[in-house]
Amino acid sequence: MKYFKETLYDAVCQEFRVDKMYFEQKTEHQHLMIFHNAMLGRVMTLDGIVQTTEADEFMYHEMLTHVPILAHGAVKKLLIIGGGDGGILREVLKHESIDVTQVEIDKAVIDMAIEYLPKHSDSAYDNPRANIVIDDGMAFVKNCSEKFDVIIVDGTDPIGPGEVLFTEDFYAQCKNCLNEGGVIVTQNGVPFLQIEEVKNTYQRLNQHYTDATFYTVAVPTYYGGLMTLAWATNNAELRNVSLDTLEQRFKSANLNSRYYNPAIHLAAFALPQYIVNQLD
Amino acid sequence: MTDPIRTVLYGASDKEISFYQSLVEKHGSPLLLFDSSKLKQQYRALQQALPNVDLFYAIKALPQIDALKELDELEAGFDVASSGELDILLSLKVSGRRTIHTHPVKSDKDIRDALRFGSTTFVIDNLDELKKLQPYRGRVGILLRVSFRSENAKVDLSKKFGCTEDEVANIILQAEQLGLHIKGLSFHVGSQCETSDQHVAAIHSCRDMMLELNKKVKAPLSILDIGGGFPADYALESIDILEFCKPIRAALESLPDDWHIYAEPGRYLIAPAVTCVTTIIGKSIRYGMPWYYIDDGVYGSFSGKIFDHAEYPLQVLTEGKTSTSVLAGPTCDSIDIIDEHIELPELNIGDLIIGHQMGAYTAATRTRFNLLKEAKFIVL
Repeated sequence: MKYFKETLYDAVCQEFRVDKMYFEQKTEHQHLMIFHNAMLGRVMTLDGIVQTTEADEFMYHEMLTHVPILAHGAVKKLLIIGGGDGGILREVLKHESIDVTQVEIDKAVIDMAIEYLPKHSDSAYDNPRANIVIDDGMAFVKNCSEKFDVIIVDGTDPIGPGEVLFTEDFYAQCKNCLNEGGVIVTQNGVPFLQIEEVKNTYQRLNQHYTDATFYTVAVPTYYGGLMTLAWATNNAELRNVSLDTLEQRFKSANLNSRYYNPAIHLAAFALPQYIVNQLD
Repeated sequence: MTDPIRTVLYGASDKEISFYQSLVEKHGSPLLLFDSSKLKQQYRALQQALPNVDLFYAIKALPQIDALKELDELEAGFDVASSGELDILLSLKVSGRRTIHTHPVKSDKDIRDALRFGSTTFVIDNLDELKKLQPYRGRVGILLRVSFRSENAKVDLSKKFGCTEDEVANIILQAEQLGLHIKGLSFHVGSQCETSDQHVAAIHSCRDMMLELNKKVKAPLSILDIGGGFPADYALESIDILEFCKPIRAALESLPDDWHIYAEPGRYLIAPAVTCVTTIIGKSIRYGMPWYYIDDGVYGSFSGKIFDHAEYPLQVLTEGKTSTSVLAGPTCDSIDIIDEHIELPELNIGDLIIGHQMGAYTAATRTRFNLLKEAKFIVL
């Protein structure tokens, strides 16, 4: 393959030059690739959709991880659902007081990411604070007796293997795994082009959490502008933590981040009106 | 419409005879012989006959991996109608962007499977079908299929699918209100057309409708899918596709330059690329007529006789005085007769009978009746 053309939308598509193919796996129902692109570094695609690139993954991973952790301020136990590439795990482990459980449905994804996308996990999978469980995310939260302060859902597109992670049942089960005042955050697509995802997720979360909203990050290779990250908790104060408090937590966490900072943390909750219009 | 008349060739060169016999000795019988160079030749000829038209091979005609590989190398597009057809393309790593999903009736799972594969163009012909696409409206491109009844096509596809011309404007305007954009029209005048008159008339009607609609809609319609219907040469008359398509080319000239034209050829491309080799396994005299039983029939490679109303040109390898005979297939069923009145020379058990132009809707529609062994597919 000389060029990769994304197949998300009928009328437009982004094209990447494939400079070197590192890994290609084609099973009966899915097509996974990792290749090098001169501008973006290693690019992982699944079923014709860009999942992550080395050049801009930090924006997504830092925002999905540090916003809930620093908003909460006292996270001891954290659950990652999905996230097989290891980027979220890497960011979570920067917080030294946190023990993390990661539930990934397919061990092969982790193995493949360690080998072909090593910068994403950056040895995080060797860290003794990381408890890796190979299981279906839905089954895990249904049967889980543990409680967590933060749940991070890092799944794929809702049309595909991660479909169950967008269901109301899943969000309800996650609530049972959250400590009092805990928060769940999830990847929720690019609303300018997929506004239904915002509407659906909002309605589903709103059934089970008193404070459901979104915050945003613009990841260049997720074509279409802002990406929404869903946010749901029963503690409405979590998204109103003051800048001063966040600054203190940020300083003591010593994150060495490239996208996240307290100012952008607070600003990320300011939503453009086309998204606000979906929240009712 | 008259019943198709079968063409029969008598005799063969020594070279031809030894070619077929050696293949049967090596692989057994029955066989389907695939000649990729013929497929390539047909594809190039149709490209030349329809320049500036994107060709999407109708996989349903023959969903065979070697044929699809050849078309992939020719950079053809693919017209898919089911999730199974997507799976076979996935195994070839064909990008979804080179496909269109043309089945007018789809389940939600069909739509999701197609989107996951990356196939984003869908065909609808009514509002209920349109509404199924609403959850995916940002991702999909929609073609509205219009029905033009064809009197001279062998298979009239407009009976089952396609809205009437009167319904077009309403569906398109309603779609717009639902926030769904219909990007163009499609039609299928039927298969095995004798002339391109129906294509031309449909192109003109669609052009006029689209130009008229484009004065009213927010986003213009810019795609016209002229379907298939390009004939296979069942009479072995050397159909001149350049000539057949000349009126179509002229009609397409009258469209705005920025419109995109699609076509969905199946039969024309694949029919001549496959030859069926069968063997006489039994003979008898019944009602005063010679009967010959061959090892493939209407439940097998000749299934198109039933489903597709096709009478394939046959070849016997010997010449001689002929008499009206019956040519029957191998199953126990009395419907399994390929021809009830065929002029054949006296033939013997073990003689070969060759079926030409047997790539389209032959192996694709065969059954497993009697659990007879299906014809082996041989890539030449």
